[in-house]
Amino acid sequence: MTLPPLSLYIHVPWCVRKCPYCDFNSHEAVSDIPETEYIQALLNDLEQDLHWVQGRPIESIFFGGGTPSLLSARAYETLLTGLTEKLTFSPDIEITLEANPGTLEADKFKAYRQLGINRLSMGIQSFQPEHLKKLGRIHDRAQALAAIETAINAGFSNFNLDLMHGLPNQTPEQALDDLNTALSFQPPHLSWYQLTIEPNTEFYKRPPVLPEDDTLWDIQEQGQERLAQAGLSQYEISAYSLPNKQARHNINYWRFGDYLGIGAGAHGKITTSGPQGLTILRTRKTRLPKDYLNTEKRFLAGQDRIAPEDTALECMMNALRLHKGIPVSDFEARTGMTLSSIQAPLSKARSLGLIECDTTIRASERGQQYLNELLALFLTD
Amino acid sequence: MSQLDHIRNFSIIAHIDHGKSTLSDRFIQVCGGLSDREMQEQVLDSMDIERERGITIKAQSVTLNYTARNGETYQLNFIDTPGHVDFSYEVSRSLSACEGALLVVDAAQGVEAQSVANCYTAIEQGLEVRPVLNKMDLPQADPDAVAQEIEDIIGIDATDAVRCSAKSGLNVEDVLEDLVANIPAPEGDPDAPLQALIIDSWFDPYLGVVSLIRVKNGSIKKGDKIRLKSTGKDHIVDDVGYFTPKMTKRPELNTGEVGYLCASIKDIHGAPVGDTIVSTKNPDVDALPGFQKVKPQVYAGLFPVSSDDYEAFRVALDKLSLNDASLFFEPENSDALGFGFRCGFLGMLHMEIIQERLEREYDLDLITTAPTVIYEVVTRKGDVVNVDNPSKLPDIGSIDEMREPIAECNILVPQEYLGNVISLCVDKRGVQVDMQYTGSQVSLRYEIPMAEVVMDFFDRLKSASRGFASLDYSFLRFQEAPLVRLDVLVNGDRVDALAVIMHKESVRRRGNLLTEKMKELIPRQMFDVAIQAAVGNQVVARTTVKALRKNVTAKCYGGDVSRKKKLLQKQKEGKKRMKQIGSVEIPQSAFLAVLKVDD
Repeated sequence: MTLPPLSLYIHVPWCVRKCPYCDFNSHEAVSDIPETEYIQALLNDLEQDLHWVQGRPIESIFFGGGTPSLLSARAYETLLTGLTEKLTFSPDIEITLEANPGTLEADKFKAYRQLGINRLSMGIQSFQPEHLKKLGRIHDRAQALAAIETAINAGFSNFNLDLMHGLPNQTPEQALDDLNTALSFQPPHLSWYQLTIEPNTEFYKRPPVLPEDDTLWDIQEQGQERLAQAGLSQYEISAYSLPNKQARHNINYWRFGDYLGIGAGAHGKITTSGPQGLTILRTRKTRLPKDYLNTEKRFLAGQDRIAPEDTALECMMNALRLHKGIPVSDFEARTGMTLSSIQAPLSKARSLGLIECDTTIRASERGQQYLNELLALFLTD
Repeated sequence: MSQLDHIRNFSIIAHIDHGKSTLSDRFIQVCGGLSDREMQEQVLDSMDIERERGITIKAQSVTLNYTARNGETYQLNFIDTPGHVDFSYEVSRSLSACEGALLVVDAAQGVEAQSVANCYTAIEQGLEVRPVLNKMDLPQADPDAVAQEIEDIIGIDATDAVRCSAKSGLNVEDVLEDLVANIPAPEGDPDAPLQALIIDSWFDPYLGVVSLIRVKNGSIKKGDKIRLKSTGKDHIVDDVGYFTPKMTKRPELNTGEVGYLCASIKDIHGAPVGDTIVSTKNPDVDALPGFQKVKPQVYAGLFPVSSDDYEAFRVALDKLSLNDASLFFEPENSDALGFGFRCGFLGMLHMEIIQERLEREYDLDLITTAPTVIYEVVTRKGDVVNVDNPSKLPDIGSIDEMREPIAECNILVPQEYLGNVISLCVDKRGVQVDMQYTGSQVSLRYEIPMAEVVMDFFDRLKSASRGFASLDYSFLRFQEAPLVRLDVLVNGDRVDALAVIMHKESVRRRGNLLTEKMKELIPRQMFDVAIQAAVGNQVVARTTVKALRKNVTAKCYGGDVSRKKKLLQKQKEGKKRMKQIGSVEIPQSAFLAVLKVDD
């Protein structure tokens, strides 16, 4: 049995300020970040996960946050050195780092690049001053523009810009204006996603006034058209890229691949194979930075086996987000299930025109529009 | 103690809030039936629903020992009667166990129509009716005028009616003295073979069927072998006793007494209300006249939300119908709602209460379809068909004539609200038959289509008269009327459970209200949902629930899966409570919308 490809996610849990829409595990850095201790903790954490690697090379690494660009280049140097000692990197490994404007200066960018970090993902979110303010971002329009410029100059030919739409009081014109500004840098990749209000956020407690459904729809349609014109093709619900510039790390999530998750609150997904077939685990690490750094406490906060009746659903929740879906062979290999075992929901979805299935399983255009309805068909009672 | 001449069996006839419950509580207190600690307000209204709504639905009884001023102790058996217009049928059952009744009238408000009707029932059954003027503590009490009104409207002598206040306790013992002195003792032969009447039966999970009985002749005790006249089945008596109001065991029940009987009867229909109990030693005793079965006036389909509950639902209806003979039900199959029952009720309140009891006591989740009255249809072949379900209405082409039920309504209303009440009656297509001025109130008689009466007429009447008008109604006749069936179509599919029969002239207005209401209630789906109201092939109103533009989670990365999965599950839970019509999900509330679109 071939195990799925393996990636590595590394979480950096600090931000300068917590944004009101953010439901990730991020904490305001009240004093100096304990960089050295954290890097050591990450390597110790990884050490305990190594038995899950099972001989696989690492296809991609993603430094996510929080704000990974708050850490110094030195810190990453130590970390990457440690990683190469413990792991085998795939020759064409993709190493992405998330950066927020306002936390970067030119020297740091260059140093990151020289360390082998070959992709940068920048949390721009908007270029409109009023929206940046509403979103609680620490940067302004000028800093956003400067950050992108700096990244390009530092040698990051492969980068992503995160942009949001459906912002409080946003008009389609403003949304398009944001896109046009972003496109002027000819980004190889755009994550363009609609603002949603998540539980446990400031916005959830005090919800802002969001545009009407019809306005949201106009923004989406016009935006998609504009992105297509610029040669960025949509390959996932919220992801657009030039050919061959898709986010390989994210694609691995969406194709139900494996990933180790290290760092405070990091999640992982690990497949092991035994005589009874596949066991798929979801792992999560200790959430609060102070607990994660406490040597008395364990890194691993919990691990749960994906129940057999949930496996197909969890796979579909990821795979159907991709325009190309998932090859049937990958579905079978990565869930340990046969296609025929999901015949009932598949037929129902097909009869509703939500899914297409030949050598790959993929959501139809309509299925992507109503993805939640489609996924609900894979829910077992 | 319980020699015949020291027993008094009585009921109280009173309008809902004329103080019957408070008065009966006072009786229990005076006679020491409950300690102060046990003395809950309105002990007799024991069902949760009764206490919440402040009304009596079912007959209950209590046995009290009252030591009168002459030094003698009397056994008082008080059989409670329901006070709402929907439950008048229950009244005659309670009265049949009694020799007398107290007519309790609010001295500030005067006589109301329901009491008049019940009073006549009592008099017809040969009971001694004693008027009592209650609420004398109120400053606006006008006992002389009300006494005059009792004489004018009902025609019984009210000159020496006791004037009391159940609330303050004033003259409550005088009421009991009057009762002992004037209500006759029961008659019967203690030495004759057993003959007892079942006044009420209900199902207790531990005891089996428990019956409230009135012993007419002979006696009954634990260990006796008894036979039920209707079923011919024999049972051994486990227990007899009184309600004090707690269930209290007694060695035996004698001639003239009222109490409970348990005989390990496990079959729900083993002890039908109105049946006669005899001894197996002397089984050839005449059956007592039972109770006249009343016909339901309102019909509706009740369907379990989950089809798994169908069997539990059937059992629950069986149990409820044991002591509610007015509850009619038969299996119904709806395209939209699956398997359920078409149920007949005395009125809307009865329907609401049954639904509430089913949901509360039997833990069922139900969808109720729009209530309807029964219509009479004459086909071209000359057959006369009764239709209690709009979706079963014969094809229009085969109908020669449609007839609707007409109710005779007796209304009592203070003069100042007469105008309001008359315009309400006209609005409800009523025809005035009679109008009499009696004291401060006006007595009106109208013929009004039953469909209008049972829906919300009573509530409207109350609000048109600030609560002072009262109503009693009964079925009079079927009468030809321009009736049609209004269908509701959801994306072209006719929803049988939403069809209603109504007058031609209100079709457009009701159709518009209904489709608009449905539009509010049906959530946006993956496609446009067209809602149409139609008579035959002619669409009279239409509206559209626009399609949801999208339903997709914006982002989902490695750590998000569990949370997003919970969201999907929540979304699905919500849908489980909806019914699928074609490809459209319709929430339960939409089926009730038909009810709520009146004007």
